[in-house]
Amino acid sequence: MDDIRSSLDNMVDHFNDSITHSAPKKLLFNRLSISLSDDSASLPKKRRVEQESPNCSLNSTTDSTNNSASDSNGTWKMNKLRAELIETKARLSQVQDQLKQNETKRRMELSLAESKVSALKTQCDFTSQKLLDLTKDMENRRGLENSYKEEARRAKAELAGLKLKYDETVNKLKNEKSQQEQDARDVQLCINNELGDYRRQAQRAELELQSTLKELECIRQRHDEYKARMSGYEELRANFEKQQQSLKVADERIKELEFEIQSYTDWKQVTKVSQERLASIPEMDSELQRLRVHNKQLNKIIGDKLLLEEQVHEYKARLDKEEGSRAEAAALQVKLSHTERELKEWVKVAQDHCLANTLVSPVTLRSRIEQLLQGDIVHVSEKYASESESKQMRNLVRDLEQKIRVYLKNIEDLNMSLKRHKNFKDRLQRKLRTVSRERDFYKQMVDNFDKDLTMSNASVAEMTQDMQVRYRVDVLERTLTGYKDLCTTLDREIQAMREQEQLSDPSSEDYENVKKELDTLRLENDRLRRRKEEQELEIMQRCLRQDISPPISKVVHLVDNPAAEAYESSKNMLEKLQAEIERLKRHNKKLEDANEQHLNETTSTSTGGMTMNFKELNKLRAELESANAKLGKTKEYFMAARKEFRDVVYMLLGYRIDRVGYKSNYRVTSMYAESPDDYFSIALSESNDLALLETPYSETLQPALDQQLAANNSFPPFFSSLTLDLFQRATVTMT
Amino acid sequence: MSSAQATKNCITLKGSAQIIVEYLKYGIHSILFQRGIYPAENFDSTQQYGLTILMSKDPKITTFLQNVLSQTEEWLSKNMINKISMVITNAHSKEVLECWDFKMQAENGDNQAADPSQRTSSKDQTRIQNEIRDVMRQISATVSYLPLLDCICTFDVMIHTLDNTELPAKWDETGAIVIQNAQAVQLRSFSTGLHKVETVVNYKMST
Repeated sequence: MDDIRSSLDNMVDHFNDSITHSAPKKLLFNRLSISLSDDSASLPKKRRVEQESPNCSLNSTTDSTNNSASDSNGTWKMNKLRAELIETKARLSQVQDQLKQNETKRRMELSLAESKVSALKTQCDFTSQKLLDLTKDMENRRGLENSYKEEARRAKAELAGLKLKYDETVNKLKNEKSQQEQDARDVQLCINNELGDYRRQAQRAELELQSTLKELECIRQRHDEYKARMSGYEELRANFEKQQQSLKVADERIKELEFEIQSYTDWKQVTKVSQERLASIPEMDSELQRLRVHNKQLNKIIGDKLLLEEQVHEYKARLDKEEGSRAEAAALQVKLSHTERELKEWVKVAQDHCLANTLVSPVTLRSRIEQLLQGDIVHVSEKYASESESKQMRNLVRDLEQKIRVYLKNIEDLNMSLKRHKNFKDRLQRKLRTVSRERDFYKQMVDNFDKDLTMSNASVAEMTQDMQVRYRVDVLERTLTGYKDLCTTLDREIQAMREQEQLSDPSSEDYENVKKELDTLRLENDRLRRRKEEQELEIMQRCLRQDISPPISKVVHLVDNPAAEAYESSKNMLEKLQAEIERLKRHNKKLEDANEQHLNETTSTSTGGMTMNFKELNKLRAELESANAKLGKTKEYFMAARKEFRDVVYMLLGYRIDRVGYKSNYRVTSMYAESPDDYFSIALSESNDLALLETPYSETLQPALDQQLAANNSFPPFFSSLTLDLFQRATVTMT
Repeated sequence: MSSAQATKNCITLKGSAQIIVEYLKYGIHSILFQRGIYPAENFDSTQQYGLTILMSKDPKITTFLQNVLSQTEEWLSKNMINKISMVITNAHSKEVLECWDFKMQAENGDNQAADPSQRTSSKDQTRIQNEIRDVMRQISATVSYLPLLDCICTFDVMIHTLDNTELPAKWDETGAIVIQNAQAVQLRSFSTGLHKVETVVNYKMST
């Protein structure tokens, strides 16, 4: 840029030099022109003439010289010279014009050149500016280029780093891959080994299976054998059972026969006994008669005894009654004395309450009481009346009090107005007083003036001037004090008036308005206070809850806290449980599949048997139910039959036999028994022997027992004889 | 406790922090027992503040509280804690059921020294202990009105520190907790003269 500028400057200088090179010419020309002009134009005519005078002198000298030569020629020559001079002058003017033209031309050129120079300069400035901009731009570009280059270098470095890293990772991955491949190979080997193991195991298992199958076949064969044997055994058992049954039948038969034999022996004994009895019938008859007589006597005696007992009982009852009545009588006597005492008291009370002359009697007492009660009633009614009256009075009093209050209020109002009036009156009086004082004062003043006048008129002669003046001064001073007093009183009055104005109570209407306003304001105040309290509570709540924007803080906690641990453990637990569920589901499915396969394969396996078992169970259950129902029915039927049978036996044989207790104890009750307590207790021993147990009733029949049971060792005759006996006795008592 | 009492019954900032941390330890153990967050057979009774307080025997809980409270003491002695929250959450759903806030407020103490570590308080130790005892009593009385926690619960301790605190290792920043439909109950507060501790329980209203 500077180079360009310098070169441009050089160019300009060169140009100027060229101009200056031309200038000497011009200057020369100028000087020439100036000299010319000096010579011709600029100088005044006279001077020019004077200047010309040397020439002239020269000419004159020449002239003189010429004159010396010839005078005639001289005039011609002079003319000629003059003409030449004029000519030269014209030429000179011409030259001068030309010079002027040249100068103007030169000036024009100069101005043109200057303008060109200025234009060139501006262009040069502009270009230099541009150049500067371009250089700056260039620098910027260079900086950018440098930065880009650096970036490129950095990127290259990063690229190299990344390359290295990736190479490393590639190497690592390759290593890993190789390792994994090795692992895979190992695993494959392991698997192959395991597979071989498993195969071997499977072969072994197959062998075992075959052996077990063989065994199974053996077992089946054996089973068949056993079955055949079992059928043989069953046949044998059936035979055995048949034999046993026949044995039982034979036993029963033997027993029956034995029983018959026994009964036959019994019969033998019975026949013997009866034969003996038959032999002893006449004796027995006589004895019977004797016994009957005896019995009759005994019966009579018993009847008498019963009669006596009845009488004794009656007497005893009477005695009891008597004793009761005696005790009652004693109690009554006590009561009587008590009542008599009471009666006496009552009589005393009656005497106290009755009139002195009248006879004391309950009637009078009653009348007295009635009188008193009536009096009471009257009193009560009077009391109620007085109460109602008092109530009325109270109401009245209340009304009156209210009225009084109203009146009091009125009185107060009136008092207030009275006070006001009084005040007003006082004020008026005071005013009147002041007015009167003023009047007095004016009067005094008038008197003074009068006195003055009289003094001026009458006593001038008597008093000296001085005295007069003093007197007047006194009088004037007094009037002045009077004025002052007046002023003070007026001031005081004004003050009092003002105070009264201030004190004067506001009118009732204003007061009411103010009161209302006060009330409303109070209500407003209460409302606002309540609102304030609510707001405070709200604020407190919010403060507690930290709803108000908390101060800038961050919440931190220890990473391994119990909460995180609990979350983790619960998550783990959940996962574990889900895994467990998944496992169980798979297991379940497997089992189901296996079950199905099993079912498909064989129906006689245990699982198949299970369903069979279920079916069987259901069937058995149904059977059980039907059997139960059957059993119930048969039981009912049996019960009914048993009852009927028992009734029939009872009616036919006259004895009811009840089984008592879990041991084979039997209670035998006769149809003709006198009381339900008359029963026999009989036990069946293990050897099928019957034994009579002792009961209160059996003791009473000891002789009959001894006679028949001990003698015959048989129950039926004993029971039949007893039945007969009882029947006879019952019919005797009936008749 | 003896170090808390420097000279002439003066409590320094460190001592105050120690007292508060002790209160927090017993308070949190007591809440764990009272709210039935861990089975009652895992607790042992000790005497403190004139009360019988049940402390957890579980080594996990004790070590956790030891770690948290030692850090709390360090921060408290620099007045960097606004609030400590003990949050009780449902272990399965992570729902926040209860939040016990222990709000800390720094106090000036006796001498309003510019350097907080030079401040001391001459508040009587027994008075502070009595105040803490009252708060502990209230904590055990809250069981009567707090809703029954009928699910498996767990707890966490969150510390609200200043924004510029540096977190040590194993500490992590977590968000603020929110309880739906919350109800707050303010318990008594106590002061060591250098710290004022307010205890507030926020619990989820049972619908």
